Amino acid sequence: MAGETPRIALVLDATGAAAERHAQALGGFLRDGLRFSPEHPADAVTHLFYAEESARERLLALAPTRLVRLVRAPPHRPDLMAAALAAFAAGGGAELFVFGGPLGAESAARLAARSGGGVLTGVLDAVAAAGALSCRRHVSSHHLIGRFELRARPWCVTLDAGWLDAGFEPPAEHVVQASTELREDDSSAPRLCDDVEVFEPPATSDLEAAQFLVVAGRGAGGRAGVERIATAADRMGAAFGVTRPVVMNAWAAPDRQIGVSGTRAAPAVCIVAGSSGAPAFLWGVERAGFIVAVDTDEHSAMAGEADAVVLDDAVTVLEALADIVARERL
Amino acid sequence: MPLSREAIVEGLRGIVGPDAVVTDEKVLVESSVDNFRKLQNIFDVHTMPVPAAIALPADTAQVARVLTWADDNGVNIIPRTGATATEGGLESVVPDSVILDGSAMNEIVKVDPYNMQATCQCGVPLQALEDRAREHGLTTGHSPQSKPVAHMGGLVATRSIGQFSTLYGGIEDMVVGLEAVFPGGEVCRIKNVPRRAAGPDIRHIVIGNEGALCFITEVTVKLFPYFPENNVFLGWTLKDMGLGFEVLRDVMVNGYKPSVARVYDPGDAGIHFSHFAAPDDCVLLFMAEGAAGIATATADGIQAIVDQHPECTQVPSEYIETWFNDLCWDASKITAEDERIRQTRNVNRTTEISADWSSINEIYQAAKQRIIDEIPDITMMGGHSSHSYINGTNMYFNYFFNVVGVGPEEETEKYYLPIIGIICEETLKRGGSIVHHHGMGKARAPWVKDEYGSSYSMLETLKRSFDPNGVMNKGTIIPL
Amino acid sequence: MTALRIAVGFKVTPDYEALRPADWARAATGPSAHGEAVRYVRRVFNVFDEAALELALRLRDARTERGLETSLVAFSVAGREADPFLATLQALGYEGARVEPDADLDFAPATTAALVAAATRHLGGEVLLLGSRCGPGDTGLVPFLAAEALGRPSLPGVTAVEPAADRLRVTFSAGDQPLRATIAPPCVLAVGNALVSLLRVPTLKDRLATRDRVVTTLTPADLGVDVPAALSREPSALVGLETIDRSRAGVVVAGASPAEEARALYEEHLHARLERI
Repeated sequence: MAGETPRIALVLDATGAAAERHAQALGGFLRDGLRFSPEHPADAVTHLFYAEESARERLLALAPTRLVRLVRAPPHRPDLMAAALAAFAAGGGAELFVFGGPLGAESAARLAARSGGGVLTGVLDAVAAAGALSCRRHVSSHHLIGRFELRARPWCVTLDAGWLDAGFEPPAEHVVQASTELREDDSSAPRLCDDVEVFEPPATSDLEAAQFLVVAGRGAGGRAGVERIATAADRMGAAFGVTRPVVMNAWAAPDRQIGVSGTRAAPAVCIVAGSSGAPAFLWGVERAGFIVAVDTDEHSAMAGEADAVVLDDAVTVLEALADIVARERL
Repeated sequence: MPLSREAIVEGLRGIVGPDAVVTDEKVLVESSVDNFRKLQNIFDVHTMPVPAAIALPADTAQVARVLTWADDNGVNIIPRTGATATEGGLESVVPDSVILDGSAMNEIVKVDPYNMQATCQCGVPLQALEDRAREHGLTTGHSPQSKPVAHMGGLVATRSIGQFSTLYGGIEDMVVGLEAVFPGGEVCRIKNVPRRAAGPDIRHIVIGNEGALCFITEVTVKLFPYFPENNVFLGWTLKDMGLGFEVLRDVMVNGYKPSVARVYDPGDAGIHFSHFAAPDDCVLLFMAEGAAGIATATADGIQAIVDQHPECTQVPSEYIETWFNDLCWDASKITAEDERIRQTRNVNRTTEISADWSSINEIYQAAKQRIIDEIPDITMMGGHSSHSYINGTNMYFNYFFNVVGVGPEEETEKYYLPIIGIICEETLKRGGSIVHHHGMGKARAPWVKDEYGSSYSMLETLKRSFDPNGVMNKGTIIPL
Repeated sequence: MTALRIAVGFKVTPDYEALRPADWARAATGPSAHGEAVRYVRRVFNVFDEAALELALRLRDARTERGLETSLVAFSVAGREADPFLATLQALGYEGARVEPDADLDFAPATTAALVAAATRHLGGEVLLLGSRCGPGDTGLVPFLAAEALGRPSLPGVTAVEPAADRLRVTFSAGDQPLRATIAPPCVLAVGNALVSLLRVPTLKDRLATRDRVVTTLTPADLGVDVPAALSREPSALVGLETIDRSRAGVVVAGASPAEEARALYEEHLHARLERI
């Protein structure tokens, strides 16, 4: 198939949780993460695995491509999915399988093993050329990024968790190419579970889920300063956290604490007001998309770890900022 | 008539202001212990009297007013800065104590590269001072494992020592002057000079007083040129601790000044070096630093000395350098260690002593054997020598045990104190000192008279003279 | 209920947290530089494998309490650096075995999985516990490829395993979704973020009692695995490494007053970003 784009199968396991996020990941990756050399438009179809007939239409609407193959399957059965996809690959259905869903790694591994293909998990981006799929992924506990090549086809990949927040709008209309059903006895693998209990995912605190976060440190100067920063955060529609010294001084409740002994946040925007940036605290905010440090100390560790720095009194700057944001944004 | 808790809080608020007095119950309970009874905080099972309040003075004048008030009202004061103590020095052993916490006094007053000294308030983290010194191409030369978390006041109060002491000395060799406040509120400043012979060196009344005599508000320490690019690392494996001590002695008596000179016994080496040392190997290691000529000459001299001992097998220096780069304990390591204890109930404790070259190996062997024989549930018993002098060295006993059959709050009595007892006995029997650098705290105070011998009267006189009403850190150094 | 044999495959890895940015920069100079750059740092259990080893001990303890016979075997595909860890495991009641691969398997999940599956067949173990993933590759593929090679089902993200009559009650997680199911061995369990994550510690007396026990040493040939051939069929090949820069710009926002600084901060840095939230 030199010179041609590979046929792409997006595999969306919607039998389990978080189908919408995984659909977004697949769509975002197809849009932004996958390139062809030479350049070609993508030729992709979604294999949508779903468990309940009643959910079929809702899930179909999530499919990131216009073309969809619907497969009704029992939940939590990556072995069955792999068997079905191996048959599809053997029939020349696709050369690149991109898996989205909680059991994607197992499905990808089993499909690659059964069809003699290449496999890689946690892919950040990929370039498909005639002879190989070149992918990047984190290695060595996120200390490095590795560049990998997959040669044997089909190429089976899963995506880095970063793609879950890709922000992708599915097509308004879908065309169902095929609709099939997998049964337990379709698989030669031993039967796995006979009574799966499903639990509520653990509740995430508002700090963990916050997209806009303000954190007050000791530089707030006292309980009154911390409270003024909390009020400013509230006026801006931001979640409010504090550093350990603030909790130690009883200027705020312990459940507000950010850092190794508190919450690890991952906001899009984080304003750190009056903290020197102790390593145990930095761990709690280092995943933030954009960090602003407001403090009088230009030498603090916090200043080096921030994208933007305001060298001034934390409380005064935060209150001035709240005036602007409240006026312009809300 | 002692003050009520409410009256204590009111009194403090009147001096340092309402925002600088902590009365949160959880914080106070956690502050009733330090790392000596750290399992109480890890498992949240507390047995000590809860302090009445934590006061965070803003300046020396407020410290003086608090100490005057405490002296007038018989309130026990526990001085503290970074709160990293390991020997019970920060434990509140009497009811309604007040923790006087200097961590808000955290200004680096002056870095003076020409006179090679820096002045800072007690609450400055050592790491912050070191970072500031590095901006001038200088170093404090002080690098205890607690460097990322300990503060200058506490380091001076406990006669701290750093990992490079063989070159730079302990904190007592670095402090050139200081300011301290005594009970009754007297503020004393000892000026910063290179040396003096104007009578006794009174710095040493303050350095190592562990908050039992005074509160340190400011210190001035020496600075040194910093040449990390010249560091040379050397390492060997060997089968015999006795030989390890002999090689350390050879290096010291021949006048070499490596910044790091250590020998690990097989148990302790197994924790750090099992990727290159066999299970029965000791590990001997050195770091030479300073100006290029000095570092090279030091490393060459040490190499020549160890070369005379064919029983020592040299290892690639990268092993030692990589180990060295990961020595310090930051907050995340402390949190991970707490989690390890919580899950496994396997506790790591350390006790450090010193002795002359003739005695050190005997103390090490005798204490180690007795602990293995007499203490239950030991999972590792070992140690290393890490600070050497021309006349002797230290032994840092490092040991782990499982807490079995008792609550976490009883760990100290069932395991830790009996082990400390064995180490102190074996050390005193052979003329060594029961504390090399962590301080007496309350953990080793029961052995104070045996430690001091006939000089104990001097210690008692100091305590009586400077703290006549006994309001400074009751139970520390001198037991209740 | 019949006796159960539990096998746990584990790996010891360099303590990545002990390395500095300079070490990582050196590791990134090429695939072959990685091993050299990390070889001087101390070794630790791969964190997920350590959890697997403790979960297996707890499962044995729970079965023993019910009068059920259980044996444990721990093995590693590794050189001699695994020996001190095997000694610890033997003191805790594991039989120990080591498969000497005679090749660098750092980025070779399929070859590793082939050896793990073959070792499990050789040593026995109706239940095979493996850590979900392991550095430096971190692909998380080994448990599933091993399960595929053994013809067994597997469960991901396992956090607890308890005896349930002649089966096992397993708490696991698919993505963020916690689940529990009863399964009948044989099976492969990939251990994830278990609350029990640290291995208990044997006493000196336990160590003394087991110190003469021999670790079974196996070669790939003993297991019928052709490592060079397996390596040539690896489903992906590492071709390069890159460092990740985490320092941030630290752009100083200027203004004559706090109000001006706040205005500049909002307009230059925050306005567009907050719009997107």
